[in-house]
Amino acid sequence: MMRELRYLVFLWKMNLSAAMEYRAAFLTQSIGMIVNDGIYFITWMIFFDRFPSVRGWTLTDMFIAFGISASAFGLAGMLFGNAFNLGEIIAKGRLDYYLSLPRPTLLHVLASRMVPSGMGDFLYGFISYFASGQLSLDGLGRFLVGILLATTVFIAFLVTIQSLAFWLGTGGTFTALAVNAMITFALYPITIFNQAAKVVLFLVIPAAFMGAVPAGFVQQFTWSTLGLMTLGATGFLSLAILVFHAGLRRYESGSAIQVEV
Amino acid sequence: MKKYLAIFKINLLNNLAYPAELITRALMILIFMWIFFQLWAVAFSESGTGFLSGLSLREAIWYFLLAETLELGRPRLARLISEQVKDGSIAYLLNKPYDFLIYQLFAGLGESLPRMAMLFLLGGGLVWAMAGPPPGISGWPLAAILLAGAWLLHFCFNALIGLAAFVSEEVAPFEWIYQKFTFVLGGMLIPLDFYPVWLQSISKALPFAYMMYAPARIFVKPEWSHFLQLLSNQAGWLVLMGGLLILAYARGLRRLAINGG
Repeated sequence: MMRELRYLVFLWKMNLSAAMEYRAAFLTQSIGMIVNDGIYFITWMIFFDRFPSVRGWTLTDMFIAFGISASAFGLAGMLFGNAFNLGEIIAKGRLDYYLSLPRPTLLHVLASRMVPSGMGDFLYGFISYFASGQLSLDGLGRFLVGILLATTVFIAFLVTIQSLAFWLGTGGTFTALAVNAMITFALYPITIFNQAAKVVLFLVIPAAFMGAVPAGFVQQFTWSTLGLMTLGATGFLSLAILVFHAGLRRYESGSAIQVEV
Repeated sequence: MKKYLAIFKINLLNNLAYPAELITRALMILIFMWIFFQLWAVAFSESGTGFLSGLSLREAIWYFLLAETLELGRPRLARLISEQVKDGSIAYLLNKPYDFLIYQLFAGLGESLPRMAMLFLLGGGLVWAMAGPPPGISGWPLAAILLAGAWLLHFCFNALIGLAAFVSEEVAPFEWIYQKFTFVLGGMLIPLDFYPVWLQSISKALPFAYMMYAPARIFVKPEWSHFLQLLSNQAGWLVLMGGLLILAYARGLRRLAINGG
């Protein structure tokens, strides 16, 4: 376990070094993403200026939910960047490289890439939380826990959806559709959805675990919310690992000569 | 002109050759329109009125459909052109007997048309079922004219961002920020009529309103005087942005260094 953790840290260091080779691009993407998120959020400020409460959901809730989602999205990209193109790696037979090495395949492939703009998203999440006016030391602690569990659910969802490439052969468009759905649902007030839709948001496209649930947890600690979030993260992660390994048994090598750098 | 029509036709057929891909891509609009309907149904209901700034819920949802059709259907030319500039493949297009920018225009149109048609058909079906029938046919030709102008403005912005690769290592952040400006100042997520008056004035003084709001608003509320006003402003921005694009392209070519072949 410790050995794998050390290996993960080593991979993250290497990814960061590689990103810093193109320092200007890294900084432009990170700062650009912060500005991008900030401009997008103005829409919600305009909306809540006109409609201060949407069935009890206010601008404060929006700031926190957006903060959690942005940071979770950014953290997933920074630490496990290949979670966004796992389907393409599978479909093109590029898993060969990872299978030939004595490391856990899924962990290795996911952590082998860093999305530089993820840093901008990750940092913007904190700006959004600070701007909510709810900042406190224990709140910040809950915000961090919320980010970690939301990131776990998000990565697990990405892995599960993209592992379908083992059966479908391709699925880039379908993956984009699923990812967009997850992020879009997470960024809207959960109070606008009816009960049936909420079931979908907890069990099928688990966007509730990326926005509304952790946002509620940040504002008020309850054991039941923490339990629900932990259960969601564990459940979806287990499902992702199960689906990936079931698919891996069907994997056929691309027989391509390739160099991973 | 014949060669450009041939380029248009090839791109059109390319997109029509994979109907499953075309439909899967267009499914995203169903998610967006469903969420928009949930949000705005609550907003209208909580405001206790059937009309907001002169728009009914049905009109607002059809407004969003046209705006989303344009946003999801326009080609992502910025990334394509910047890649062509960065990897040097622009050289293969420059020595052909056609103008690079007009080539991109017709290629983009061929890609965009089937995609927009599919988005409108799928999204329109859902919107009709949720919110009611589309606006009267009298506004459709006026909206189509403004839609064409909006598409051309998007083309100018995208091409300008793509050509920025001549001077900047990374252009993706420019693309994100331009997109968010069309969301906020273009009125894609909230019709500009719902904004505070001061923000409406700023938005209408900038080009983004003529890239989203103009066709969508005329589609649901066709009024001749408003149409002519929007059209003249849009034409003014087109002349300005088109001129800038031609200038930027000429300057970019002077900076182009091609090594090898």
